[in-house]
Amino acid sequence: MFELLFKYPASVFSKGKLVFLGAWPVWLLPALIVLGVLALAVPAWRNRDQAGGRARGYRLASLWLLQAAMLTLLLLLIWQPALSVATLKPQQNIVAVVIDDSKSMALDEKGTTRKDQIVKALQDGVLESLGKKFLVRLYRFSGKLERMEKLEELTAGGNATRIGDNLAQVAAESSTLPIGAVVLASDGADNSGGVDLDTINLLRRQRIPVHTIGVGRERFEKDVEVTGVQVAPRALADSRLSAQVTLKQRGYTQSKARITVKAEGATLAVQDVTLRSEGALQTEAVVFNAGSAGVKNLQIFIDKLAGEENPNNNTVTRLVNVEARKPRILYIEGEPKWEFKFIRRAIEEDRSLQLATILRTTQNKIYTQGVSNPAELAQGFPSKVDDLFAFQGIVIGGVEAGYFTSSQIELIKQFVDRRGGGVLFLAGRAGLSDGGWGKPTMSDLLPVTMPDRKPAFHRDPATVELTPMGALSLICRLEDGTEKNVERWKKLPYLADYQEVGAPKPGAVVLADALPTSKGRLPMLVVQNYGRGRVGVMATQGTWRWQMTQPLADKTHEMFWQQLLRWLVQETPGRVIATTPKPVLADEEKVTFRADIRDRNYLPMADAKVNANVLGPQGVSAQVEMLPDPLNPGSYSADWRAEKPGAYVAEILARRGEEEAGRDVVNFRREDGVAENFAAEQNRELLSKLSAETGGKYYKTSDLKKLAEDISYSEAGITVRETRDLWDMPFVFLLLLAMRAGEWLLRRRWGVI
Amino acid sequence: MRSRNILAAAVAALTLFGAAFALQRGRSFDDEENSPAPMPADAAEKTEYTFARLKYPSYRGGSMGWSMRGNWTVDWPKADRQFVQGVRRLSRVHTRSVEQVVDLESDDLFNYPWLYVVEPGHWDLPENQARKLREYLERGGFMMTDDFHGTFEWEIFMDSMGRVLPGRPAVDVEEKDALFHVLYDLDERFQVPGIIMFYTGRTFEYDGVDPKWRAIYDDKGRIMVAIGHNMDLGDAWEWADHPRYPERYASLAYRVGLNYVIYSMTH
Repeated sequence: MFELLFKYPASVFSKGKLVFLGAWPVWLLPALIVLGVLALAVPAWRNRDQAGGRARGYRLASLWLLQAAMLTLLLLLIWQPALSVATLKPQQNIVAVVIDDSKSMALDEKGTTRKDQIVKALQDGVLESLGKKFLVRLYRFSGKLERMEKLEELTAGGNATRIGDNLAQVAAESSTLPIGAVVLASDGADNSGGVDLDTINLLRRQRIPVHTIGVGRERFEKDVEVTGVQVAPRALADSRLSAQVTLKQRGYTQSKARITVKAEGATLAVQDVTLRSEGALQTEAVVFNAGSAGVKNLQIFIDKLAGEENPNNNTVTRLVNVEARKPRILYIEGEPKWEFKFIRRAIEEDRSLQLATILRTTQNKIYTQGVSNPAELAQGFPSKVDDLFAFQGIVIGGVEAGYFTSSQIELIKQFVDRRGGGVLFLAGRAGLSDGGWGKPTMSDLLPVTMPDRKPAFHRDPATVELTPMGALSLICRLEDGTEKNVERWKKLPYLADYQEVGAPKPGAVVLADALPTSKGRLPMLVVQNYGRGRVGVMATQGTWRWQMTQPLADKTHEMFWQQLLRWLVQETPGRVIATTPKPVLADEEKVTFRADIRDRNYLPMADAKVNANVLGPQGVSAQVEMLPDPLNPGSYSADWRAEKPGAYVAEILARRGEEEAGRDVVNFRREDGVAENFAAEQNRELLSKLSAETGGKYYKTSDLKKLAEDISYSEAGITVRETRDLWDMPFVFLLLLAMRAGEWLLRRRWGVI
Repeated sequence: MRSRNILAAAVAALTLFGAAFALQRGRSFDDEENSPAPMPADAAEKTEYTFARLKYPSYRGGSMGWSMRGNWTVDWPKADRQFVQGVRRLSRVHTRSVEQVVDLESDDLFNYPWLYVVEPGHWDLPENQARKLREYLERGGFMMTDDFHGTFEWEIFMDSMGRVLPGRPAVDVEEKDALFHVLYDLDERFQVPGIIMFYTGRTFEYDGVDPKWRAIYDDKGRIMVAIGHNMDLGDAWEWADHPRYPERYASLAYRVGLNYVIYSMTH
């Protein structure tokens, strides 16, 4: 229809430039239009009282406007408007037809495959019409771009779809070949993160339009997909871990699905979920135990649902390094108390934590336990950086702030801020605000604004309830199921005591509230991050009743304290922290190592020599030098290619001269043949945007008739500039006719003929 | 007639026996024994540690004289209240000024993780109470026993203890054990006698000549039951303020008691 009215395809208008072919100067056109319009106004105004005064007001204005528009259009036509457009010279330009040959092209599309769909569409006259105007070069791509002679070479077997990389390669060929346009046929299921801006800019600089042909359904009718899983890359042995599993489904709203977490064949967790809104992302937390030390290859999957079209996108793999280390925690307590004893007992049962304690038994005596040698802590709380920073966490029980020297107080702050350790404050007669911890020297470290009134500590019973954040926290997870966990907390025996801690600060998270009989609801467990570390307040010393008043088989007390103290130290770094942004390389080779190196005082070490020693499958071994980031002291990074699929381990070793600053291990895994299973619906948005950004157009496989003609209008390759007359467009004559007829009809209606 | 003569002879014998004791000890402890310790003004204070005394059923057997000498009330309440005065003065333990009597029929027991049992050589725990005490100890409760003497009372003690913690032997506590060092180094220990030494002139009772420092341990090597056999710490606490009771015995009794309290709150 567009072409019938306007004579040319829309692309001519979008790419062409308006010119006037008439001999008279262009400036004369607006002048004549203005004069003509004014000239029409004079008789209209003079004759306004004719016909009994019926041609006044808006009627007069309407008639004058119609006449003025018609005059303007006629004047425009006299100046011979035309479009100047660049067109590819016939048979002198190459059109690159680039076809997706990845596995997702083998997906079933109602009895056929995506590959067969595009082959059929191209063979159905499209290639022939292209061939009449251009030299056609066929390419196929998945991970890499390959030239092919005929469409039968397509296999739909590639492990990846890297549209951006391959378009960049085509653009690079244009420096030696007159490539006039690219026709990209794909489902758009790119798994390299999309087309980057550099590639788009490259195509735009070379003026190569990318016309895209979308293949495959834009929506599955029945499918559930695991679109992502977030799980901590490292954990302590026997820790509870939470996998944040993100799902998307079509056609299964309100259906039940089962999420399973497995490692090395053993089932770690099974959780039934109800699938919610169609097409929306839904995140479920699945809690499981990390088990013993070692690298765990987790498989997180949803059981195949009845009638599911693509069950291959139901499984995701993640690596978790369950570490054998045993972080040490220093617990100082101001007076003997039952909580002290039972915390010690709880941690004794934890294979992954070590607890060293200082207990003030009398005014002048301390009693230490869990020390590594008799001299350790013999003088009380450490006063030196080396001694204190040897620990990963600190628990400060009911001991007043005044017991510490000012340098010890500063050391505690630096322990959190710079060293990245965790500090937990407990309640007590001399704890928290009653112990002077609310004073300015320490108050910025604490997650609460402490009250001024005393006493804030009360030996009165209080029950406990989780807050919404606490219900999701692994610290408070006594049961795997969230609702079950909340109920269990409600049924716990009351605490022997509680302490008022004041209001939580912005950024702090209240995980549990204490509910004494007369004071409403008070924050009991509050945590926050501070600097590189974390701080918590536990406003009771009375959880020992959970141990003494519940059956021996009940492990509430042990579990809670183990989880709380694991939280305290699990993230406490060593002097070397090694990471990689992608522990699982899905059909990728490139891996990036990053390391953060600190000196003995945990200040950034900018002059270290850092190497990554990589061991991989089939005897792969490499040493990679990591280079410092000049803008970020202490940070080092390196890129490396994992050429073989399988499990890798990289030990990052940092040295300064002869001194070893530290070492850390990072695990990663390259998996091939999985990426294509995900995001397999046609990504029309990506394809449309790509064509729009490069001056091309998006097509469906069923609508390719105009492709060859649209491609003609391009400024890439070998072009010639043509002008296309506009005066003889059918639309112009229809418009003139409509304006004249409109005026006549209005005059008839208003009786002003 | 014959029975009346026997009764008269018995009364005469008891009178002579009592007079002989009175002559031997010189000054009577009766006044103090008959006047219980006053209730402290701060008895209602809520504290961390409470001296919990176990009320138990007594063993029904043995001679009448023997059975009359021991039960759960011995030295109560003065010993308890004098001891906690020492705990308050000599340590940082926040201590209640009065004791708490608990029994094994109530779950209130579990609110007091430290338990004192006097004269366990006279106890006789039925199965349900033995089961509850076992649960108490296995959850983390600590029990100290005191003031039972000789082979006969040991056997009675172990008869019930065997039901409480079957399969767990009572063993001698090693010198290096934290029990003897957690607050005071108790390397030089000796028999702490009860006030009967003023009647008998001996520091021991029956055949309990040597003090035995024994304990029953849990699987992780922590003491669940600290057993003071052939000693009477309770009397030493009770009579620590008496001018005739030797300071060395009272002093050791307090130090032992304090070590037990601190141990129970640290292990």
